[in-house]
Formats: sequence, C-alpha cells, structure tokens
Amino acid sequence: MAGEHFTIAQAADLIRTRQLSPVELVKDRLERIEKLDGQLNSFIRVLADEARSAAQTAEFEIAAGGYKGPLHGIPLGLKDIYETKGIPTTGHSKVMQDHVPAADAFTVLKLKEAGAVVMGKLATHEFAFGGPSFDLPWPPARNPWDTTRFTGGSSSGTGAAVPAGLVLGGTGSDTGGSIRGPAAYCGLAGIKPTYGLCSRAGILPLAFSLDHAGPMAWTAEDCAIMLQAMAGHDPNDPASADRPIPDYRAALTGDVRGLRIGLIRHFYTTDNVADDATRDAIDVAAKQFEQMGAFVRQITVSPLAEWAAPGIMIMMSEAYAIHEANLRARFTDFGEAFRDRMALAGLWTAADYVHATRRRREMVDELDRAMAGFDLVMTAAAPSEAPKIDEVPKFAIMERPSLTMPFNVTGTPAMSVCCGFTEAGLPLSFQIVGRRFDDATVLRAADAYERATPWRNRRPAF
Amino acid sequence: MTRQELDYALARLGLDVPEKERDELVGAAAYIEKMAELVKKPRRIGAEPAHIVEFPEG
Repeated sequence: MAGEHFTIAQAADLIRTRQLSPVELVKDRLERIEKLDGQLNSFIRVLADEARSAAQTAEFEIAAGGYKGPLHGIPLGLKDIYETKGIPTTGHSKVMQDHVPAADAFTVLKLKEAGAVVMGKLATHEFAFGGPSFDLPWPPARNPWDTTRFTGGSSSGTGAAVPAGLVLGGTGSDTGGSIRGPAAYCGLAGIKPTYGLCSRAGILPLAFSLDHAGPMAWTAEDCAIMLQAMAGHDPNDPASADRPIPDYRAALTGDVRGLRIGLIRHFYTTDNVADDATRDAIDVAAKQFEQMGAFVRQITVSPLAEWAAPGIMIMMSEAYAIHEANLRARFTDFGEAFRDRMALAGLWTAADYVHATRRRREMVDELDRAMAGFDLVMTAAAPSEAPKIDEVPKFAIMERPSLTMPFNVTGTPAMSVCCGFTEAGLPLSFQIVGRRFDDATVLRAADAYERATPWRNRRPAF
Repeated sequence: MTRQELDYALARLGLDVPEKERDELVGAAAYIEKMAELVKKPRRIGAEPAHIVEFPEG
C-alpha cells in the first residue's frame, strides 16, 4: 500500500470486500502524515491514538457483519472549526487555542455514525476568514502541487491534505468560497451544498446567514458519499432544512444528455478577468459538456460586483458581531489579516447591513429568474492558478469581486471541479451551480465530467 | 475616509488597532464605502430584506 492513493469509493469497496484493512489504511495514512505534513502544514492536530482505535473498532464491526456503508473505516480530516468532543477546536486562533468543546458538531456525529475515522483537525484561515496568515499559533497550510503556493481558503488544510493523500476526504465550510476556493487551487472536488442542507450546529460560525458546511474529496463521487452522511435535519440549527435526503451516489448516472447549462462567461472574462489558461480550460470544459449531450448557452446576469457586495457586507458584519467582544478586549491576539478585516467591517452602519440584505433578496430573485429554463449554471471558480502564498494581499477579498460569493448569497449548491492543469502543473477549475436542494444534479454533472476527462488520474508528486 | 475619521471610528468601536495597520485601513476603507454604495439601489419603500424571522409554531 505504502502511500497508495485511494478515493473513498475505491477504499470503501476494498474494505467492504475485506481486501483492505481499515487498521492498515489508517496506519499507512498516519505514516504518510508523519513523512509529508512537515511540508504541507495541513494538520493542526493529528489524533493518531484516536484514529488507530477507531480503525480497530471499524475493523471489528465489519468482521462481525456490521458494515455501515462507504465511509466505514475511511480516514477523514476535520477543518478545525468543527467542534470535537474533548478535543481542542481552535479556529486556528490564539483566541480559542484552549477551547475544548463538550460535544461533537452535528455533522461530526453523523460522520462518526457512518463509521468514518477522524484523523485529526485540519488547518484553516483564522476563524475561517483571516488568511493566509503567518502570525498565528500554527503555520498556514501549503499547496501540495507547489508548496510555495497558496492553498486557497479558508478550508486550507483540507485543500492540502486530500490531494496529498494524507486523508481520503475532509470537511470544509463555505461562507464566501471557502470550500470551492481551496478545491480550485488544490485540484480536488468540493461542494458547497444548498444552504441548510448540512447542519451548522457545532461549527464555529463566520456568518450565520452565509455559512455552509460541506465535503471536500478527490472526486464528485466521494463528495456524494460524504454529503450523504453529512446532510440531514438538525433541530439545533434554526436554518436546517427538514426534507428527505435523496441518494446522491445513486444520482451519479454518468448521463448529462439534455442537461441545460447556462454559462456565465462575463463573470470571468469581464467582471473578474481570469487568465488565459483558466478561460481556455473552462471553454474546453463547456464544449466537453456539449459533447456529452448537454446544452450550453451563455447567459448574462448583473456584474459580479453586484453579487459580491451584499455577500461581503453581510459576511463581514455578521463576523464582526460574533467576534466583537474579543476584538475590543484583545485585538492584537487575533492575526493581522483577520483583525484588520474586522476593523473594516466595523465601519459599516446598521443601515448598510439592512441594505445589503435587501440587495441579497434582489440577487436571489435574479438568479432564480436567470435559471428559468436551465438546470445548472457554470462559471469560473477562481480567476487563475494558485498564487504564491506570500503574495496574497490582505484585503484581496475586497479588491476583486469574488467568483464564489454569488452562490453563498443565493444559497444554491455550487461545486468546484478540476478541469486541467497549467504548464507549470497547477490545477485549473470551473464552478457548477444548481437549483436549491438539487445538489444531486450538480454532483451528477461534476461526476460525468470527471469520468470523461483524465484530470482525476493526476496527483501532486510527493 | 481620512485618517482622522478612521481614528474616530475605531475609538467608537473600541478597537486598539496598531498604528501601522491604521495607515493600511485608511487605504482599504474605500472598498467599504464602494460596497455600501453598490447595495443602495433605488427600491420601493416596502422592499423586504432576505432575512425575515420565521417564528416557531405554537
């Protein structure tokens, strides 16, 4: 095995048929973490003893005929904003470095109930917003394709650990792009599900009305497997949707014939101009969908800044309120990126926030109208390959309108899908967006694209 | 926003921002103002926000 790459689906099949031992798999991943994570900094805390014990339990259960499903015995990582009972959950911040939750987050419980093995707590931007930062108790995660480069954020540790094969999947959160951004820069699959599909309870909040919990893994199929476990009603989350959860994996038919895809090209050719490699890769991906039988037509919506502004304002204002007491009491205990962004957030007025929420309703209505007659929308997930980690401006999120924030504003499911590599070997991606609670179609389209293209065969060279 | 206006705003907020960072914040404040203007579209008086409270039944 020694460092062999598996998807969750592949490992699950081998585990189910007793060809692969969860104990051996976890042992191998722990050795890989030991060997490689010094270069990646993807983990804040490796839970080696706990992981070995959980793997042992999984092995016993499976041997006794108690196979739980495709996550049973699978090593996963948790972004360190997902609360874990008895284990520090720090938000990658000095401010909460000693915070030990009394209970697991709801989604963590569900993953454990599915038999997943938690390998540890993964790096994140400070409180899912301030990064990349070099002034925090733990260093920032680095891109496994080129460790001088940014992973994207804020689910930076997950973005690094999955492609490098340290874990087979991981949790992320997405308030303005924090699943899709690292998925794009690190070449994995990541879905921000419909708002309310996965419980936010027990996840350190960034912005209540924009936070989405979701999976990140090597393939869309793996994301479907993880989402199946993570999704579901939680009465402790007031935004939690109470509706039946479809079988996401069963929806992966490989068939996209007749799917109607609206391509928002101006988002990345005019509004936030992508580089040539990105633009060309997305054009080729759109043609790929047409060759597979989908209908792709360009559509025009409001400029990207109109979508980004209400989202940024709501996100930063809600985050400011959450952290206000600590910002006043111990401002410089936060990292510089986080604290200065919060200082800016404090400049908006209460009326500014309300106007942003009114604008949000208008943008929600606009996307719904734009998607009339379409099943999916497609656009860029990032404007370029991953930049150098020490060249990310502190206020980058405000300098160029975000390609991912529109779909946090609208609460619609959105996924980053790898669609090629630059000449330097860095991942490129597109973003596919669906109707609310039609996460299955998003996953189906992404999965069909992955099956028709060679990108999933290429991993970082570790 | 001028440096003086920023200092006043930060004092009201109670934020102890180091000097060097204040200079950067003055430069970045334009983004805040621009976004606030972008969301202030003409709209009818009754245009609702996206966040309306749903009270539990009973």
